[in-house]
Amino acid sequence: MPIPSKPSSTSKVNLEDEDAEVLQAVILADSFNKRFKPLTVDRPKCLLPICNASLLDWTLEGLALAGVQEVFVICRSHAEQVKAAIQNSKWSHPSTGLKIVPVMTAKETFSPGDAMRDIYTHGIITSDFVLVFGDLVSNIRIDEVVRAHKDRRKTNKDAIMTMVVKQSGTTHRTRPKGDSAVFVLDRDTSECLHYEPASGYPPKTLAKIPRDIFDGHPNIEIRNDLLDCSIDICALEVPSLFQDNFDYGDIKRDFVHGVLASDLLMKNIYCYIAKEGYAARVQDTRSYDAITKDILSRWTFPLVPDNNHPNGHAYDHLRGNKYIPKDNSVVLSRTCKIGNNTLLGPSTQVRDDAQVIASTIGARCSIGTGTVLRNAYIFDDVVIAANCVLESCLIGAGVWVGEGSRIGRGSLVADGVKLGPGTGIKAKEKTTPMIGEFIGDESDEGDVDSELEQAEQCQPSLSQSLGPNSDAFVWPRRVAQRNGEDRHENELESFDNRRFMRLGDDFADLDLSDPGSVTSEDEGSSESDGDTVPQNATVFSSATSLPSAPAVKAVSAGEQEFQTEVRLSLDRAFSEGHSLDNASVELKTLRMASNVPLRRVREAVVAGIVENIPLVEGAVPQRAQIKKWVDRWGDLINLIGGVDGVETVSILQHHCASSTRFHLFGQILAALYQNDIVEEDDIRNWHVQPEAKGEGIKNSDLLEKVQKTWIVGARMIHQLNEQESDEDDDSNDAESEGGDSD
Amino acid sequence: MDFEESSTKLVSHEFLAVVLAGFGNELVPLTNDHGDEPCPKALLPVANRPMIDFPLTWLEQSGITEVLLICPTTHRSSISHHIHSDTSSSSYPSLHVDVQTYEESPDEPIGTCAVLKHFSSRIQRDFVVLPCDFVPPEGLSLTSILNKYRIESNLDGAIVTSCWLLKVHGPDRGAIPGEWGSTGSCVPIIWDKKSGTLLHIDTPDDRDRNSNELEIRMSLLSRYPVASLSSQYTDSHVYVCKRSILDILHQKSTFDSFREEFLPWLCKIQYQKTKQEKYGRVLRPIQANATHALALRHSTLFSGPLLPQDPSSRGSSSPSFKPVLLRIGIVVHDTGFAGRVNNIATLLEVNRQFLTRANYTLPTDPENRALIDAKSQISSDSMIGSSTKIGERATIKRSVIGRHCVIGKMARVVGSVLLDHCVILDGAKLEGCILGRNTRVGAKAELVRSLTQAGYEVDAGATIRNEKLEVSDWTAGPQGTDSDGVSQEDEGL
Repeated sequence: MPIPSKPSSTSKVNLEDEDAEVLQAVILADSFNKRFKPLTVDRPKCLLPICNASLLDWTLEGLALAGVQEVFVICRSHAEQVKAAIQNSKWSHPSTGLKIVPVMTAKETFSPGDAMRDIYTHGIITSDFVLVFGDLVSNIRIDEVVRAHKDRRKTNKDAIMTMVVKQSGTTHRTRPKGDSAVFVLDRDTSECLHYEPASGYPPKTLAKIPRDIFDGHPNIEIRNDLLDCSIDICALEVPSLFQDNFDYGDIKRDFVHGVLASDLLMKNIYCYIAKEGYAARVQDTRSYDAITKDILSRWTFPLVPDNNHPNGHAYDHLRGNKYIPKDNSVVLSRTCKIGNNTLLGPSTQVRDDAQVIASTIGARCSIGTGTVLRNAYIFDDVVIAANCVLESCLIGAGVWVGEGSRIGRGSLVADGVKLGPGTGIKAKEKTTPMIGEFIGDESDEGDVDSELEQAEQCQPSLSQSLGPNSDAFVWPRRVAQRNGEDRHENELESFDNRRFMRLGDDFADLDLSDPGSVTSEDEGSSESDGDTVPQNATVFSSATSLPSAPAVKAVSAGEQEFQTEVRLSLDRAFSEGHSLDNASVELKTLRMASNVPLRRVREAVVAGIVENIPLVEGAVPQRAQIKKWVDRWGDLINLIGGVDGVETVSILQHHCASSTRFHLFGQILAALYQNDIVEEDDIRNWHVQPEAKGEGIKNSDLLEKVQKTWIVGARMIHQLNEQESDEDDDSNDAESEGGDSD
Repeated sequence: MDFEESSTKLVSHEFLAVVLAGFGNELVPLTNDHGDEPCPKALLPVANRPMIDFPLTWLEQSGITEVLLICPTTHRSSISHHIHSDTSSSSYPSLHVDVQTYEESPDEPIGTCAVLKHFSSRIQRDFVVLPCDFVPPEGLSLTSILNKYRIESNLDGAIVTSCWLLKVHGPDRGAIPGEWGSTGSCVPIIWDKKSGTLLHIDTPDDRDRNSNELEIRMSLLSRYPVASLSSQYTDSHVYVCKRSILDILHQKSTFDSFREEFLPWLCKIQYQKTKQEKYGRVLRPIQANATHALALRHSTLFSGPLLPQDPSSRGSSSPSFKPVLLRIGIVVHDTGFAGRVNNIATLLEVNRQFLTRANYTLPTDPENRALIDAKSQISSDSMIGSSTKIGERATIKRSVIGRHCVIGKMARVVGSVLLDHCVILDGAKLEGCILGRNTRVGAKAELVRSLTQAGYEVDAGATIRNEKLEVSDWTAGPQGTDSDGVSQEDEGL
């Protein structure tokens, strides 16, 4: 048996040497994240249309252009749809010269690394291959990269991978802010010496470059301007390395970083800096926006809508990058306005006075009279009634939008949603409301249930924004954004970082200044004192800012945002007179959304109550005001989840001590006691705590006030003791005690 | 007519050159006192020229005329004497050298920053800092560095322009003892090639903090996305500085070393906003803008607001901050050999480099010619100072011999540097040595890779390897004790 097999294997080797080798490519047709949710609920991400052709078609077109002959498509979610899409596409014709093999992987494939391990076990790859994602839009001549890679392999067997990168600017729109990297390259060979991943939030402050690379490489370049095209030419060893290192998840962040950092592997990875051509991944809604604009402004030539459109549509290219189908099926009103960088699908109708600016519209859509679309991306069969305004949003296929609706920046509307007339999806600066319709079961997504529960809690308040006859489910923006607790809760997918990947979010409120530049006065601590002291002073002197904690703590931006949110929500509740239940539900949602400890919520509520008590002249009217306010809102302190009187008193103390309403402490405490919000035992327990006396507080001014409040508390306990002995006269004394305290 | 005179004066007031001469602690024992007479580092010859001549000639070529030479008090008279002597000043005739002194002991050297701070009252304009031991490379003129500074200080806010040189590749490891130091101490630096901006210098502090990784601020990388990094360059210690640098030095009194502390700190100002806010105005006072505005006011073409409105300027609480453009320029020179002669290894190496270009021919004047025996062998890659006597059948290869030396019969000098007035008796062998002034080597002594202090006497027949020979006690005179001790140690090796 071995005798006949041997010549065949040698002949294979010969074939390979003669460059007759088949160029293989692997497409990972799953994004392994949920950035496009809920659009990806019913279909895989790679079948989302961009410029009216699915992402997978763009990818295949790009690969065919680059001379790839055999493509393996690794599908996970909605694999049947991907399979069907490939069968129905033009690529299934034998004449295309492209052999496409869909490969199903298990549901347990959660990362590109898992997919690579799958590739290894399938054993489908026979030689060096091109690894791309199913959301790639590219016109780069990959065959040239492959040639360079193979030439290098002839001399250096350890060069296992070549990454295609493209030079761009640091803040280029196509360069993902939330998921970029610093490449450290050898200037002469463009060997990648170090890969430093960078995420947008928390902002990366330091790039760390290992010193041991200096010796062998006299000229090193640190590049922060490279756009990772996610086209990697991999040697056969790459899948097996993934197999050996079962913890590698992401290709760049884990594999490349790991291989380069490893002392044992001694493998090299090279970069190919593409001088010409275009390649980018539709990783998130923000890059969806950027890449659409790139396609419309013809950076991807020859892959443009009027030429080689992957879906076979034929468009006319008009001045100002407007694309109108050639088949004359579009109905444009005489008075409608079509702005620059716009693509209209076949059989679409745009009615009188409608404006379509920098948007793409799918096939068979209808845009009503007076409707304005700006940076809106609308899939097929969408009906938008008159006088709507849609800005920076993605509208799924078959959506129906009623008259006069407004859809704000950054919204995603899933397929088949019906929005009644007058729907207003708010576009507060950072909202990303999501509307999704859950048809059927989503049992495979385990964490959906918990999210759903939370979302349903908020449904009454959120659905108010929907017009009548709506068939939609509004996801509260925070809850919907939350990740499953158990799944890749990494930095990359953290909430704040994902905002960098979202359409229409200008993340103006995120604190992106390099914090290191503030604290980096590492030399000579004498001068840094000058910086920090006034900062502390402002924290305590400003009555309007919410006190964060007894100790001056570095409040993260997320927490800060939470606090402003809570304050706004409380202000609303106070001014609009919400019921206690509604207010508490809102607070609970906020808390769960930003995952802050309960204490922070309690602090915010106490602060809100204290700061909102109307100030009046005279002790007696003031006491009446306090009583009225605490009667109305006091219970909120205990409704936010969990009753902890000791904590309440201590928070009240610290808030009063750092607030201008210091003199109200005694009266408020008495009122809380009257309303049974804090019990007698709570006050006693609080009083014996060392913190209550102000231990550990540095600031002398604050300490003095804390100690004063402690004395007030002592007097109150004294009163309570007296009450116990004679039950005749109650609260009046306690209250008058409190009143005297200032 | 004195047209020429007036034109040179115009140039002269632009820069002041500050030449710093230290003790040369790394050059011990060559710089140890010779009796009561000091051996200043600045006057140590390189290729038979006192090393101070190299930077001064370089300055002369650039058109700078005002020089402030700062040296230790004890060295003043000899340096001053050298500079003002007729023979030496012929190579820099138009320089006006002001020799100033500072109190310093060899045990506690003080840094450049402290010296500059001390003399800041004498430095009233932009200045160039030069070390006395800098041997400028061929093809790099000071004018080109000054021109870069001139352009950038007006255009985009250069405050310092520094010059870095490709490391001189010295002989293989092991050829010289490790304690002689290495040729060119290199630190990793990061710079932007396109604009010639120095961005980061790795400091010993950085290394202490993180010895495995080099930490770079992302704010640097977002401003200069294509940064070059190399650890092949060594600092020439030539800095063209704005006068306002001295004001900063007064504010930040903790700095001592210019290269290790101050310059890395200045680099950070370029991209750290808080530092810029704090020190930007000191470094670039507002008047620069005022003249700009004045010029614009008289312009008939410019109709916009006079000063760009900055959206980030805050309210009344803090004075409105406009980002100040600050830059540290860098000139990277990577052809030709050059460097600072600041340790034994570089001294030997720079001498060697000069020898590769030397082409020795017998002296033409009969007086010197008569001193060199016809039967001596002198290779062409050697240098021999005037009035040196070379005996019969002496061999000299790849060596620099100073003035007024005496090389005995059958003596063999290979790859060595002999300073002035050395006496090598008959049959002595020297290989890879540097001998201080007035060294006397006894007959048939053999020295390999050794150094001697000025005035040292090597006994006849002694064999010494890898030693630093210092005169232990002057009053006792060089007795046998020294060489005994040496030979004992030698056996120990």
